[in-house]
Formats: sequence, C-alpha cells, structure tokens
Amino acid sequence: MNSKPRLMIIDGVRTPFCKMATDLASCSADTLGSFAVKALLTKTGLDPSEVDEVIFGCVSQPAEAMNIARVIALRSGIPESVPAMTVHRNCASGFESLTTAYERLAADRGEVFLVGGAESMSQAPLLYQLSTATKFAALAKARSLGSRAGAMLAFRPRDFKPLIGLRLGLTDPVSGLNMGETAEILARENDLSRKSQDAFALRSHHRATAARKCLEEECTPVFLNGRAITTDNGVRHQQSMEALERLKPVFDRTTGTVTAGNASQITDGAVALLVMSERKADALGLQPLGELKDYAYTGCDPKRMGLGPVSAIQQVNASSGYRLEDADVIEINEAFAAQVLAVEKQLALCGEGTIADEQLNPHGGAIALGHPVGATGARLILSSLKTLHQRNAKKAIAALCVGGGQGGALWLERTT
Amino acid sequence: MTTMTTPAQAQAPSGCDSADDRAALRFECGSDGVAILTFDRPNSGANIFDRSTLEALDHFLAGLAERENLRGLILCSAKPQIFIAGADIDSVLCNADPEETTRLIQLGQDVFQRLSAMPFPTVAAIHGACLGGGYEMALACDYRIATPDRVTKIGLPETLLGIVPAWGGSTRLPRLIGFPRALDLILGGKTVPAKLAKKRGMIDAVVPREHLESFSRRLIERGKAPRLRRPLLNCFPASRVIQFLAKRRLQKKTRGCYPALPAALRLITQNLGLPESKALANERRVVQSLAKSPEARALIDVFRLRERAKKLGRHQHLDSKSSFRSTAVIGAGVMGAGIAHWCSSRGLATTLTDISSEQLARGMKLIVKRYAQGVKRRALTPAESQQGLDRITPFLGPFSLEHHGFVIEAAVEKMPVKKAIFRDLESRIGSHTILATNTSALSISDLAGATSCPDRVVGIHFFNPVHRMPLVEIVRGRDTSEETLQRTLSLIHKIGKLPVVVRDSPGFVVNRLLMPYMIEAGRLLESGVALEVIDEAMLDFGMPMGPLRLLDEVGLDVALHVADTLREALGDRMRSPDIIQQLIDQTRMGRKSNHGFYDYGKRVQPAPSVSSGNRSMSSQHIQERLVAVIINEAARCLEEEVVQDPRDIDFAMIMGTGFAPFRGGPLRHADAHGLTAVLRALQAAEAEPAPLLSAMAAKNQSFYPKSS
Repeated sequence: MNSKPRLMIIDGVRTPFCKMATDLASCSADTLGSFAVKALLTKTGLDPSEVDEVIFGCVSQPAEAMNIARVIALRSGIPESVPAMTVHRNCASGFESLTTAYERLAADRGEVFLVGGAESMSQAPLLYQLSTATKFAALAKARSLGSRAGAMLAFRPRDFKPLIGLRLGLTDPVSGLNMGETAEILARENDLSRKSQDAFALRSHHRATAARKCLEEECTPVFLNGRAITTDNGVRHQQSMEALERLKPVFDRTTGTVTAGNASQITDGAVALLVMSERKADALGLQPLGELKDYAYTGCDPKRMGLGPVSAIQQVNASSGYRLEDADVIEINEAFAAQVLAVEKQLALCGEGTIADEQLNPHGGAIALGHPVGATGARLILSSLKTLHQRNAKKAIAALCVGGGQGGALWLERTT
Repeated sequence: MTTMTTPAQAQAPSGCDSADDRAALRFECGSDGVAILTFDRPNSGANIFDRSTLEALDHFLAGLAERENLRGLILCSAKPQIFIAGADIDSVLCNADPEETTRLIQLGQDVFQRLSAMPFPTVAAIHGACLGGGYEMALACDYRIATPDRVTKIGLPETLLGIVPAWGGSTRLPRLIGFPRALDLILGGKTVPAKLAKKRGMIDAVVPREHLESFSRRLIERGKAPRLRRPLLNCFPASRVIQFLAKRRLQKKTRGCYPALPAALRLITQNLGLPESKALANERRVVQSLAKSPEARALIDVFRLRERAKKLGRHQHLDSKSSFRSTAVIGAGVMGAGIAHWCSSRGLATTLTDISSEQLARGMKLIVKRYAQGVKRRALTPAESQQGLDRITPFLGPFSLEHHGFVIEAAVEKMPVKKAIFRDLESRIGSHTILATNTSALSISDLAGATSCPDRVVGIHFFNPVHRMPLVEIVRGRDTSEETLQRTLSLIHKIGKLPVVVRDSPGFVVNRLLMPYMIEAGRLLESGVALEVIDEAMLDFGMPMGPLRLLDEVGLDVALHVADTLREALGDRMRSPDIIQQLIDQTRMGRKSNHGFYDYGKRVQPAPSVSSGNRSMSSQHIQERLVAVIINEAARCLEEEVVQDPRDIDFAMIMGTGFAPFRGGPLRHADAHGLTAVLRALQAAEAEPAPLLSAMAAKNQSFYPKSS
C-alpha cells in the first residue's frame, strides 16, 4: 500500500476490562465508550471539531442506543455536525473500525477519525421468543374487552422464559454450534491436549500479571460509586495448573477439553483510538504511536471459525510482502487456548512460519484480560503498539478469529 | 387568514397617537375579525408595564370594545425571552411621587377590568417570562396558553419584593385555581414552567410556539369562558381552616419578618367572597401600605442589586480564544466537585482532575449525587442530568490545558501547595487560558507572583455548597488585567452565578465580615449567655441560621484556620474565642463530626456542656452587638477600598450569607438605625470602631445617600 495514504494511530486509551457482572456491570456500552473517548480527547488535547467521523464497533448493540457510535460521539462532546457510524464484524469489529477509517481516508472522505469498540456483555439483553412476541402483538391490536381477554388467555408460563441474548450471540446460527463447540472441534482435529490448553491459559495469566503496569498505562480509570476502577479484574495472579485442572469441560462434558479456565472471559470494556492522515498529524503536531501498514479479512468454515487468523495472516502477508519472522510482536486473540494453539500449528503446517513464544501475546490475552467482543480488536491494536514502544521494536501483527467463520489480520508499524 | 400589517395608525382605534405607544404595542386585525395585540417595547429585551404601556393598552381596548365586527383578541409578545416581566418597578413602586404609585395601581386595575369585560373572547398567548403584572393581565383574559419552552415561566413573585399582587392577581388567581394553590403560588412568590402551570390550572393549555396563534383562534371559537368560583375550597369554613394552617406555617418560617406574607394571606382570604370591585379596592389598600414599608424598600433594593449583578459580564462578546469550550477544575474535593458539577450543569465541558484517584472517585460520587438530587427535585429531567454528567471528564494524570479557556484550581488552602500547582499549570496552559483559584483567604497577588503570567491569574471564590450559594467573589489581584476580569465576569454570567468584584485582601468581603460576627457570638457565649438565646436572637433578626450553628456548619477547625489567617493579617479583633479551641480539643468539630456547639442526632440539640450559661441578655441587645461588629468590619472594607460601593457589601452579605434580605444588608441596616447606635453597640462589645465609622457618625453621615 506504499503509494496509498498513510493512516497514523496517534494514541489510544481503554477502560479497564472487567468481568461480566462485576465492577462495570452498571455501565451501558455507550457509557463505557464515552468514558474512553472523553479520556482520549482530554489526553490528546484534540479539538473535537477536528474529527471527521466517529466509527465504533459493537457486537451486541444496546436496544436503547442503536448506532451506538453516534450515541458515544454525542455523549462525549463531539460536535453534532460530525457523523458517526457503527461497524460490525463480530469479534473483529474493533479492527473493522480502524480499517473502515483507512478506507475513508483512501477514498478521500475525511482525515481524522475516532475509532474503537465498546461492549457491555453484562447488559446483553434477555429476549422473548418470537411466539411470545406474536402474542403480545395480538394483545396490542385487540380492541374490545372480549378480544383483549382472549389475547391475554393465549399466554402460557413457558412464554415468559427468556432467551439469553449473550448465548444467542455466541452461537453460530448457520452451523448451530456454540463458539466453545467450535473450539472443541479444533482441539480434537489438531490433537491439542487439555494440558497444553491449560498451560497456555496459565501463561496468559502469568504474562498479564507480569505486565500489570503496562496494562494499567493503557487504561483510563473509571470512577463509579466513589471507587476508582483502575485495573483489569479478570487476571488471576494466583492462577495455577492445579486450579485449571479441576475445572470441568463446559461444551462437551464427557470428553471435552475446553473449560472456563482455558477460554476467554466474558467481559465489559471499551477502547478508543485517535487516527488520522499523516498530513493532519503533522499539521497538528501530534506524535503517532504507529501506523496501519496493511490488513486482510478472510472467510473460513464457520464450524472451524477459530482458524480464521491462518488465512487472514496468509493473505495480509501476501499483500504486504511481510513475513511472520518480521514481526517483533504478534497478537493473536485468545478466544480459546485451543484455538490459538491450532492457529500456531496450522501456520507452521502451511509454511507461513513459526511463532516465537517471546513474540506471542507478550502481555497476556483474552483468557486473562477478557474478551469484550466489540472492543477486543481495538485493544489488540493499542496493546501491540504500546508493546512495540516498550520493546523499542518496529513491527507488529495482530490477528483474531471471528464468529461465523472469518479471520482478520493487520500489520502495524511504529513510526518513531 | 390574511394578517394586515399596515402602519398602526391606520389600524389602531382612535386614541393612540404618541409614537412611543405605537411602538410598544402593535395591533393587527385579520379579515376573520380576530385582533392581535403584540407587546414589543422599543430598545429593550423585555416588556414591562409602565404608565405609557398601560395607557396604550387601555386606549386600544377602549377602541376595540366599540368595534362591531371583532370576534376575539389575542395578546402576545414579540420578545424571544419575555412575555411581560411585570410592572416597571421604578415608576410604579418607587416613584418619587407616592400619589403616582396610587394612580398607577388604580390604572392597572382599571385596564385589566376593561380587558376582562371585553364583549368577545380574549386569549393571552404566552411565550417567555410572564410575571407579576404580566400574569395578572393574563388572568383578566378568558384563556391563557403558554409554550413549553424553557424561557416560559409564569408566576406572581410580588411577595418576594415585599408587596402583594394588586392588579387583580390576589383576587382572580384564587377564583381560577382555588384558594390553597393560589396561596402556595403567591406566598411562595414562585414562578413555574408551563407544564406545571397547566397542571395547577394556571393556564389552559401548553402549545408549541408555532401553534400559539392558531390555537388561540380555536379557543376564541369556543366563546367567552365562564367565571369560576371554586365553591368548595374557597368558601367558609374550608378557607378559614386553610388560612389558619398557612398562618402558622408562615410564622414558623419567617418569624414575622416579612409583613407582606401575612398581609397577602389576609387579603386573599378576605377577597374570596367579595364582589370584584370591593376586592380590588382591598388590593389597592394593602399594596399601598406595604409599598411604603422599609421591608419592601429593602427587598426591592436587593432585587435591583441582583439585576445589576446579573448584568455584569453579559455584554462581553467572547472571541474564540476565550471560548468556554472546556473548563478544567483542579482538585476534586467538596469545592472542586461542587464547581465542576455547577459548570457542567450550566453547559460547560468540564475536566475534573486530582492527584489522588480515590479523591477523584469521591468527587465524582458527589457530582452524581448532586445530579440525582436535581432529578429528584424535578429541577432536571433524567436526560438533562445525563447530559450534564457526560460533560464532565474525570481525568487522572497530566493533560494539555492548551485549549482550555479557564482553569479553576480548588486544591487545599495552603499557599505552597497552590503555588506548586500554579507553576505546573502554567507549563500546560495555552496563551489565553485564565488561571483562577478558588480561595477564601489566600492572597491572589502572592499566588500570581509565582507564575510568569500574573495578569491572567484571578480569584473566584465560590461558597459552599456551590449549587446552593448564588454569590461568587471575584478577586482582582494586583496584576490581574482588565481583560482577565471581564472574561471571568462573562464566565460567571454564563454559569448563572452572581458576582461581586473585590480587591485582593484577607478574607475578601464575606468571610471577613462574617468572622467578627461569629467571634462575637462565641464571646457572648463565653460570657455566660445561653447558646439558644444567641442563635434564637439572630434567627429573629432574620438570619437563616444562628451564628453558633453556622460555626458548626462551617466546621470549627476550618473556622479556626480562617480566623488565624485573618488575625495574622488584620489583628487581634479576629482572635477566635477560646471555646472554639476547647471544642476542637474535645474533637467536637461541628456538623461533620456530629458534635459541635450542638449535638446532631435524630434531633439537633444544644450540647449540654456548652449551653449552661444563664446570663440574661435581651434579644435586641444581642442583635445590636452582633450586627454592629459586621457593620464595623464593613466600614473598614470600604475604608481600605476592598470594594468601592456600599451596595457591593450589602449584596455580598445577603447573597453570600443570607443576611436578612428585608433589612437590605448590614450597611442599609446601619443607615436605618443610625451610626451612633452602632457605635454604642460596639462599645458594649468592647470593639474598636473603624475610623470611617466614627468619622461618619460624628458628621451624621450615612453610607447611602440620605434620600434613597
């Protein structure tokens, strides 16, 4: 993309990532998003009227904040005249917000963008079944006393059993498999033992514990009920193999290997990034963290959605000319330990290269930090750029698997 | 319908010939026979009733009544913010010729009588403030409708000025909405938004501005409205029971300090059953006697001072560099959080920061609580509360202040700390950012000296609790530039606080005047006068709380700290009485520790250990002594030119401490009672009189010109 414009990532902040139903449970996704955006604006000192568009990712958009990007923008004091759109590519929504901004820039449709992702998995809704909703509609239409009574009598107790939005969201509607079940397939087909998965999970917690200070630096504290929430609360500093071994498999109770301990956590959080053209960054005198070099999205078998990064990395390497060995930092989202291990194995098998342990997820991943689906992609971008700076290194690749059978990968480079 | 907008003289009925009248009141009449009278006072943002407007209205109405083909009349205003703000205070209430006041009250009643007797339906189409005489005119119409906009406020605030509604309001309102609600509105002097006015029956409908005219026409189609009488609540004996209860409540609340309130209560009750002509005669009699009372004079003065303060900073056109796009508040303690809450609630994007994340969290909690209280009191909608909260960004750690118009520092009251903060802030602000400090005692000039931009350093002294106290003292340091001062005034105007500009000197005005008062109360207590006796005497005087109770609220440690600072600068008259130190030693810090002069349990009771004194002293004597020390310190402030104008002192004390408003402030009070009396009281208090005070007393002078 050398002849094309450069998209500079100036800075980013995120809220701490907190496990579902804990510290951030009372905050809606738009509230979390506005916390991150307001802090980012304060931190960078950017005049909000410089922003050309706000692009945010969110998977489970709150019913009361449709086009959540617009809600976040207005609540954060972005001028009303600045447009906003929400993007959705499931777990890659955070990536998508950045790459959409890039495409806007390439098409000469704006230069300064606020991107990121926000997700409150605590506030994923409970839903009525369609049959129940039909009965409610009939009741609303009924006019006479008799017909209303009739409509009311049509309800049965089972009509009021809610559908859990979160569970629906984590199930692939085409294959009918839950995300955890797709991970079980990968574990079986790639011959990944329970022990190797638990070991990977332990590694994630250990690395996150060691990197506590770096992770805190990514965060802006959230102030709620007289408390300052400053750190990710999913990290288990005392995590051990023994504790992990004791956990029962969740998705295949008899012979499965995927447990709550070696899967990503369900989490609330938001990330905001300020990105702009090179020209604008120079004009405003802003020092970028890095730039987006190239990216790719690919499709794969929904039943093996966890392998998405393999084809995405292959494609982005082909188009950019970079190789895995060029990367100083490799972030592969830890949806499941089995899934990351399978990706590693498949990349090696197809000759794309091997991944040095040192480079992979140096500050831990979603198993320790959590996976607020719409925000995770943006966190990977922020984390890998920050790590490049800490290591005084140059290039990073970030990739993730996407529910529904897709992969996303992008190359980032430190510019200063 | 077609509206004819030909020159007024072609359309107006005979009798309107002066150019001014034509401009103040515009007349149109459509082919459908509906007339529209538009109030549009020339060269003013407000419509008010003075003699010429009343006469113009009278002449129009007289002409209209005789016209054959008219089907209705709509009264409206051309102003964007104001329907009719009421009577012109200067010419109606404060006329040098008291006979003119009498004549104007009569004239207003006659005009509104004429309006209510029009042979066709009349509609008041209200957009903007509709107060006092404005609403009394609306009451004389058949129908009243109003827009839901924020600027539309309706009410009869006359009692706040120490008088009663006397253009028919005290008679017509109870007949329209019933006795109890009318009492509530008139005695409280409340102004209410349209939605609430509709709920209370004060208006007939809430209508968007664009539809005011068309809806008025629909009402005119309905014909004249029937006269209501509200037989159930407005008749004996229900009305007597209500009157009795209201009287008791008034006495408890005002201790008889505000004669207009019981007078209004009596008047409204009497008028319930009277024919209109007698009722109106009653109104005239009562308002004439009240208008002469010193209380009304003082309250009207306070009203004027308030208007004067509101105007400060209003006309400062702000260029982009001084825009309020963002305001930063440094320090998230009670004051910092209070300031951030207030600024954000008034539309400013506010960044709140502190060095401690715990303190920032506590500050945010306080702000969330304030907003929740606002929603609970229905002062805010939930959406407005959310928007206000969203305007605040709590931020930990350093950030650029380059684009901030104002940085308001509200850290601890320690000069070295403040200096360090200012040096740090200075490195981060833009070339036009104003550095303000919220201090009650420290020197602005000293603080400014620590920076390289002393011209952009100013003091803004907010009072606690910020959301309740309307006053701010703007402190001009030695080097504070005129531009900085003006921009600060515009900020204060923008956030709706009332400023008083003071010179940089210890304690500024309010704390400096309050301190000797509290000290003297402590001395009286030490001399054996009982705690309750002292506080009760000052409550009777009209203070919102007694001086010792006030010390508890301030916090004894804080009071001691302020007293010590002031003593260092001003001398031993600011020496705090020993009892304060003794109480602190017993960890009785005041309200915050639940023990001080009083014990704060389920009930507030004087602490047995402090209130044992039995020296008897008359209430009047206590009042004289405690007020004399305030006056004495005020004289010193004038002498030292902390402020130039005695009005500033009176205003600051009324708005900043609740000093009995009906007395017009300490200096107004001193004038009324004579300076020699003040000197006598000072002698009793063993206080050294200010040279200015002695000199003025010797020459029989007063703080205000004698005639006013």
